[in-house]
Amino acid sequence: MNRWLDRWLTLLLLALIGWAGWSCLHWLWRGADWTVVMTNLPLYAVGSYPEAERWRPLLCIAAVVVLIAITLFGPRQGGWRRAIPLLWSGMAPLGLWLLAGGLGLAPVGTQSWGGFSLTLLLTAGSGMLALPLGVLLALGRRSDLPVLRGSSTAYIELMRAVPLIAVLFFGQLLIPLFLPPGVELNRVLRAVLAFALFAAAYIAEDVRGGLQAIPPTQREAAMVLGLSPRQTLQLVVLPQAFRVALPSLTNQAVGLLQNTSLMAILGLVELLGISRSLLANPAFIGRYLEVYIWLAAVYWLACTAMALLARHLEIQLDPVRSAR
Amino acid sequence: MPQMFRQGRFWVQLCVVVALIAFAGLLINNITVNLIRTGLGLDFGWLWRPAGFALAETALPYAPTDSYAWALTVGWLNSLKVILMGLLLATTLGVAAGAARSSRNRLLRSLSGGYVALIRQVPLLLQLLFWYFVAFLGLPDTPVGGLIHFSNQGIRLLGLNLSVEFCSVLTGLVVFTGASIAEIVRGGINAVSRGQWEAFRSLGLSEGLGLRRIVLPQALPAILPALTSQYLNLAKNSTLAIAVGYADLYAVSDTTITQTGRAIEGFLLLLLSFLLLNLILSGGMALMNRVVLGRLQRSR
Repeated sequence: MNRWLDRWLTLLLLALIGWAGWSCLHWLWRGADWTVVMTNLPLYAVGSYPEAERWRPLLCIAAVVVLIAITLFGPRQGGWRRAIPLLWSGMAPLGLWLLAGGLGLAPVGTQSWGGFSLTLLLTAGSGMLALPLGVLLALGRRSDLPVLRGSSTAYIELMRAVPLIAVLFFGQLLIPLFLPPGVELNRVLRAVLAFALFAAAYIAEDVRGGLQAIPPTQREAAMVLGLSPRQTLQLVVLPQAFRVALPSLTNQAVGLLQNTSLMAILGLVELLGISRSLLANPAFIGRYLEVYIWLAAVYWLACTAMALLARHLEIQLDPVRSAR
Repeated sequence: MPQMFRQGRFWVQLCVVVALIAFAGLLINNITVNLIRTGLGLDFGWLWRPAGFALAETALPYAPTDSYAWALTVGWLNSLKVILMGLLLATTLGVAAGAARSSRNRLLRSLSGGYVALIRQVPLLLQLLFWYFVAFLGLPDTPVGGLIHFSNQGIRLLGLNLSVEFCSVLTGLVVFTGASIAEIVRGGINAVSRGQWEAFRSLGLSEGLGLRRIVLPQALPAILPALTSQYLNLAKNSTLAIAVGYADLYAVSDTTITQTGRAIEGFLLLLLSFLLLNLILSGGMALMNRVVLGRLQRSR
């Protein structure tokens, strides 16, 4: 009886998959027209960046891809291995310099940044701002000082109650109001700042989870050894807490990358934004499915690469392994 | 020593307070200067003025001559509608997909795994645009289907008319949240010891019955807390409805702010509405948590 049910279920699923596969193939052969993707590859990559300077964002993307490849598939031992963290930390200033220019390169304003390079920049920039802020908030929430604890808790809870799109929208609208007259931040910087303020609240909760998982005996042992409170935190508690929090921090990072797509609603031409303007072009009218499949593939690859990197880092930080 | 330590703490605390006040003061000062410069004060009087814009979809009677306050209320109800239906359907889909991961049928298992792996790595906004522009607007002009009429003007089910925008937002939210719920359910089911499965199988219970009566109830305490945060995520994500033109709370707030220029007041109202929504949702889930746990305890 049970086996029959199982067989029927398998047949039904096979029929469904077959039908879906057939429709896909039919569309691919008959209906699909990939010119909207193929002719606009530079736009997807770098947006409306000045033609003569396009090599800069392209180099930036290539460097990130190479770095990911080295990290994941490169040598497991030796001096190279030790250089990788250094290379990663050098990537951010290098990327910013390549995109913005200055110091020998022609400066390019943020209004012409776009495409995948902008997506990468938004993710990396807001992530790097949000992480320290999130750690501070997490420590603040666990502090003995009522004022510090109260204000951190209030910030975290309020931020987590609001939808991201609202934070981004009001970031664009309100950040100028909070700045002294005469000081201005451009759209990209405001986006990065709003993103970071939002993500910090979520990161804070993940880090707090990590901190809670560290038994108090660790802190006590460090104190007994004569470490100062700051040393205890820096050398004993935080490293362990980070290791515990890493999987959830990875999810946050992947979420951050996906959420940069929200900037398309607010008019930034990152990956999704550039696609929206392409789809508004009469030459590519109605080519939604091609563009969306292409975008889904790019986002999927980027997110998967990020998850793989984090998994790699987890293994590297595993005390049992690194003790060997 | 403790005395000194205490004093040190007092000074640290004082410094924090002073720094916070100074920072808040700076922000408030800047904002007042800017508000005076632009000629806007903090004022909620505009709430009672006629909104002047039409809404495509309303749960209660609404006309452009009604006030902004009423427009926002109608938007709030639209949000509530899509959130509540989304919660229900996403839970159903998530539990089904999560349970399918531990099915004996390999095809079903990998299908569910593929669904989760694909959906969770693609941005929700992109998925919403797909459902709207490709799936629902791609339906034929003239209704097809028997009991349910599908067309690119909407879906008619018996007496119920659902707009294309509503359907897209609902489908997008359900499919996206369903994948996350599936992962939670799978984790919860995995946490139940294998012995329980072997026990009900050896008692001759069918897979479905055993899952529903033996495994899932034991997995619930692990599932429920994580489910709450998914529900809150769904509620927050429903604001992406603006991308496909569904008149939810956020979309109406957006229009209101653009028309009146009252960004701060609008933001405060939005914040309050979401705090209220979160309170309702987490309160409801806390109640459910208690009831479920209580029932489990009594049945032991």
